[in-house]
Amino acid sequence: MIRFDNVTKNYDSKSQPALDAVSLDVDRGEFVFLVGASGSGKSTFIRLVLKEDRASRGAVYVAGQNVANIPSWRVPRLRRGIGVVFQDFRLLPNKTVFANVAFAMQVIGRSRAVIRETVPDVLATVGLEGKNNRMPHELSGGEQQRVAIARAIVNRPGILLADEPTGNLDPTTSMGIMKVLDRINQNGTTVVMATHDDDIVNTMRKRVVELRNGSVVRDDAQGIYVGETGVLTG
Amino acid sequence: MRLAFILSEIGSGIRRNLSMVTSVILVTFISLTFVGAAGLFQLQINQMKGYWYDRVQVTLYLCVDNSSETSCAAGPVTDEQREAIQAKLESEQFAPYVDTVTYESQEEALGHFRDQFANSPIVDSVTADQLPESYRVSLVDAEKYEVIDEAFSSEPGVDAVSDQRDFLEAIFRYMNWASVVALVIAGIMTFCAILLIATTIRLSAFSRRRETGIMRLVGASKAVIQLPFILEGVIAAVLGAVLASATLWAASKFVIDGWLVDTFPQTAFISSQQVLLLVPALILLGAVLAGLSSLLTLRRYVKV
Repeated sequence: MIRFDNVTKNYDSKSQPALDAVSLDVDRGEFVFLVGASGSGKSTFIRLVLKEDRASRGAVYVAGQNVANIPSWRVPRLRRGIGVVFQDFRLLPNKTVFANVAFAMQVIGRSRAVIRETVPDVLATVGLEGKNNRMPHELSGGEQQRVAIARAIVNRPGILLADEPTGNLDPTTSMGIMKVLDRINQNGTTVVMATHDDDIVNTMRKRVVELRNGSVVRDDAQGIYVGETGVLTG
Repeated sequence: MRLAFILSEIGSGIRRNLSMVTSVILVTFISLTFVGAAGLFQLQINQMKGYWYDRVQVTLYLCVDNSSETSCAAGPVTDEQREAIQAKLESEQFAPYVDTVTYESQEEALGHFRDQFANSPIVDSVTADQLPESYRVSLVDAEKYEVIDEAFSSEPGVDAVSDQRDFLEAIFRYMNWASVVALVIAGIMTFCAILLIATTIRLSAFSRRRETGIMRLVGASKAVIQLPFILEGVIAAVLGAVLASATLWAASKFVIDGWLVDTFPQTAFISSQQVLLLVPALILLGAVLAGLSSLLTLRRYVKV
């Protein structure tokens, strides 16, 4: 589903590359943790998949297509196939929960009838039944992140990218979010989650790809992650 | 659905940015009013040219007692000279240029003079023999005035050849100047309008960067992201153009129809209907200006 072929990304020529000759394959339906300290290249990985940035060298394939060959007017179509969730939720503060999720369907031209039918289903999937008319500031952090997840998956993307989705949440709430992401993955969506939360990684027992200074230093099928100390087990 | 969505985005954009949108409306209003005024001056010049050049006559004034021209050295025009002049005017040689020739005697000249200065005390002191006889020559083509001038100005018995066009051209020159001044002001104001539209779009883009960021992530097309901004500018500019059109129309209605036409009944003025011809041009100009300047601004400030 996502393939990095010897990808290097330099933001500027003097400093060390953000990604350094990374090769990686993520299959359809997989759940992958991308772990590593801040600045290890996790966010760059996500930006390259979304074609927010161009790779300096090497090729990025998404759904079999080299993103370098996608003309700029086709980039929106690429992004429709990818849902994204961030640490800071990025909800629209003056729109209700329903409207926030519906927004993602409106901008790609879905009909009102389809929106009215789909949004409540998706809100139920992320565990927000009955909160349609709440405003974001009335919700807890975990609930806000669920709204963001609902918005990311409402157009049924094949890939869900999550950049530190639990970074602002306490451990209990984080586990709730992980259950939601797991359920989405069970339904066939490929999930790539960047995190440095070792508890979560160790509980989920999914594939772990560890980046350090822009290079892949580990790729375990059912790995664990031991925080910043660098002590590896499992 | 997408249309409704874009419209609601425009609505919220305008509400958030009301003061800037108002200033865009006003600046385009003023600049397009000057553009339109320059246009009206040109229309008026054309109208007057068309009207007057058809009626323009060349007048050959014949010698009287006190003429000073060398062609008048022999004193007042004689009957032979007058006949020679008339024969020359009606000859084959000038047939292609001359349309009609009318003779005006000294008595007729006095009659016209009295009509023209009816309210002036000067009338009583003027007698017929002080005024020159003349031939009024209307031309087939008013531009060919020089032909008559060259052929007749040194003819014995002709005091002077005068063309009313000299006088009209002076008027047209002044009107041309006025329209140039209007255009210069219009140019400066239009430049202001473009900068202001660009600034407005920038502010609008900044205040909605969260929305546009999310739109990008969920795969909204470039059109859906940018159209609300462009239309916001275009709507404001078109409103300004409508105001400018209304102002020009009202000005022509009250100034031309209500005053000039009565004050100068012999002059052909443009009608307020003709002003309406300018309206589509002004609206189009406003829309294109706003569209282009917002498009250029968006290219810099809204990443797609």
